[in-house]
Amino acid sequence: MSFFKRKAKSKEPERVTDAKVNRAPASPNSPSLALRNHHAIQEAAGPSHVAINAISANMDSFARGRTAILKKQPSHMEAAHFGDLGHSSVNYHPQETRSRLSKTVDHVLRDNVAIPHYMHFMELQGADHLVRFWLEAESFRSTSWSRVRAHSLNSVKHSTLAEPVPASADGSEFPELNENTPNSLSRDSSSERYTVQTDSFSTEAGLRPGTPLAGTPNRQAPSRTGTPIKGQANSTLRALSDKLMKSIETDAVTIFTRYISPDAVRPIPITEQNRNDIVAKICGEDGMVDPNCFVFAQSVVCSILEQQHFTEFLRSHHFCKYQIEVLTSGSVFLADILFCESALFYFSEYMEKEEAMNVLQFWLAADNFQNQLAAKKGQYDGQEAQNDAMILYDKYFSLQATNPLGFGDSVRMEIESNICREGGPLPDCFTTPLRQAWTTMEKVYMPGFLSSNLYYKYLSDLINSVRADEFVNVSTSGQGGQADNDRSSSNASEGSQTQQGTKKAAIKILKNFDEAITVDVASLDPESLYQRPYAGRMTFGKVNEMGQFIREAEPEPDVKKSKGSMFSQAMKKWVQGNSDEAQEEMAWQIAKMIVNDVVQQSNHDSPAKSTKL
Amino acid sequence: MTTAPYNYSYIFKYIIIGDMGVGKSCLLHQFTEKKFMADCPHTIGVEFGTRIMEVHGQKVKLQIWDTAGQERFRAVTRSYYRGAAGALMVYDITRRSTYNHLSSWLTDARNLTNPNTVIILIGNKADLEAQRDVTYEEAKQFAEENGLLFLEASAKTGENVEEAFLEAAKRIYQNIQDGSLDLNAAESGVQHKPSAPPGGRLNSDSQPAKEGCSC
Repeated sequence: MSFFKRKAKSKEPERVTDAKVNRAPASPNSPSLALRNHHAIQEAAGPSHVAINAISANMDSFARGRTAILKKQPSHMEAAHFGDLGHSSVNYHPQETRSRLSKTVDHVLRDNVAIPHYMHFMELQGADHLVRFWLEAESFRSTSWSRVRAHSLNSVKHSTLAEPVPASADGSEFPELNENTPNSLSRDSSSERYTVQTDSFSTEAGLRPGTPLAGTPNRQAPSRTGTPIKGQANSTLRALSDKLMKSIETDAVTIFTRYISPDAVRPIPITEQNRNDIVAKICGEDGMVDPNCFVFAQSVVCSILEQQHFTEFLRSHHFCKYQIEVLTSGSVFLADILFCESALFYFSEYMEKEEAMNVLQFWLAADNFQNQLAAKKGQYDGQEAQNDAMILYDKYFSLQATNPLGFGDSVRMEIESNICREGGPLPDCFTTPLRQAWTTMEKVYMPGFLSSNLYYKYLSDLINSVRADEFVNVSTSGQGGQADNDRSSSNASEGSQTQQGTKKAAIKILKNFDEAITVDVASLDPESLYQRPYAGRMTFGKVNEMGQFIREAEPEPDVKKSKGSMFSQAMKKWVQGNSDEAQEEMAWQIAKMIVNDVVQQSNHDSPAKSTKL
Repeated sequence: MTTAPYNYSYIFKYIIIGDMGVGKSCLLHQFTEKKFMADCPHTIGVEFGTRIMEVHGQKVKLQIWDTAGQERFRAVTRSYYRGAAGALMVYDITRRSTYNHLSSWLTDARNLTNPNTVIILIGNKADLEAQRDVTYEEAKQFAEENGLLFLEASAKTGENVEEAFLEAAKRIYQNIQDGSLDLNAAESGVQHKPSAPPGGRLNSDSQPAKEGCSC
């Protein structure tokens, strides 16, 4: 064993170890060497508190406070022991490959948070009827299936109730209703939300109520020994059942009239053939509507959306707004960052600053490796895969690794056996260390990132591009450019496209580049030019239009005085991230933006009136 | 690879694309480490490296994403194109096939990056003049036809490596100056930052991070 050949680097903040303590046998060399090696080994594969200390020590020694905080965090699914670092984690899903910030058309259409933004955008494009159709059709489909399913379930239940003797085959197709009211089913097919999962309904495809069976159930009903009450109930329920089926029909016809019929105000673009198909499915021979009647039209619409409008949407400020909404929702997940390239750009910079690039690099490489292998669905060259895996092994795992991450022996051995597997490695070859790297990034680095200047900058950029676009939309470019030149340099007004005023504004920004670029939504407010925050007015402050108390007196000297040593102050700052004020300020600015947006919404008819906060 | 303490004003995101074995990783390594990796293994998926350089008097950090050239990684590497300010499209002057595949790489680059992304064509392995398979002129013409910058370079000797990255950076900077690149678009591939301490990490000096200063 050549543990002592390892280069025991003094500074490895990104160490990841697993919980299983792995003590290496002491080397046969001199005691001092053995001791040194032992330390090295311990550092590499020691228990978790060593890992914590290693990380702490490398974070300017303030991290002890930080990791203490982290330890106290509710690790509901993690082992209480920080050093576990995901070994028993259930949080890591190898299938978690999506960022809420990166969307495809499909994702957007199924995301209630994104839909309003998408709808706004499409309205501006004049194509919102496509989206509405898709949503209504989808809702129709799922609620219809649920109604159908309710039917079949009810008929089964009813027949069992009605039968004094169990197991009569033809009772199962009773088109009767349960005692439960049909209103419990979601009937709001015209709403834009669909409420029922439809996956289970594929099995119901065969069960169409009302399909006549041998031994006509209807006729059998009176001969059952059900009570008269039941008999009465039967007919009532049958009426209700008919009503339910009728409602499906009504909904289908509504959708058809609104979107598909050639007489519709804004019909969706489908061929005559398709239209006839739909008609046939609605007016089925058995009198039943096929809940899937619109599916083909939906897919047509989907591809139109994708080809013609979607790229633009992703570049629009509406999408930015959606991203901001996600990012300020209070729960940003690592997946949101890692799988969104613009967020990843900032996060990579952060990780480099934290000297933890290796963790990220490893995660990227191993994840990519596994993904491309998985995509082959078993049809890959085992030797090639093994070569690829060995490259990663040599770089990150081996005892002579060029970029060791400090994975423990057990992980290393697991990887070794995964790679040397007969037939080559499987797509889950690196899952264990990936999970550990993921958890490390999530627990150790993400919190810092989310309270860092970099993240703030990222959000600011998003907000700015939204403001810029909106600003462009409500005022003329020349006027806007002039006005903005007078304001603070932080506002890159019309960002997106080719306005003449842009060039002026942009150049001005660059000249002032040495100053901090800050988001200052407030700077657009003319009132702020005239505010004298600390003019002696014998008041402590005022409440602005946002309901925010703006302190106007100088805070007491005591407040600003440093409490305790610089160390503890720094530790406090480390633990809390950037000052609370900064965060609060950011939150306020975002709130202002949102309020502004709401106000604009309500003033939608008079776009000239821009309420600039 | 150490970075000078936080005194850069911009970060530009680059990607390096091209067939396998043309020398993308070596170019990156030569640029960031000033060393030639004779025996480097092929890239798995993607890697990135950084370096600070000076462009028109401004300090700019380049965050360079080096992608795998193997076809099997093509699908995963596509997701890194987005939001790149600059792209280095590399071929090997001693292997004609790598030159012929350029149109495919260019298509990807154009489809997946911004309209403003600066693309520079690099003919690598210029030191192997004896085995040249692609002339300078024809590559130059291809570049001109497609609106690309063009340089022949050698990762081995270091010839034109700095220039390659620098030329692209200059063009990007120019685009920012004349307004055709929107600094504040989140997908621009450019971070602009103040010369202040980074967030989340307190240095011992007392320079405060400038937060929403509205005065």
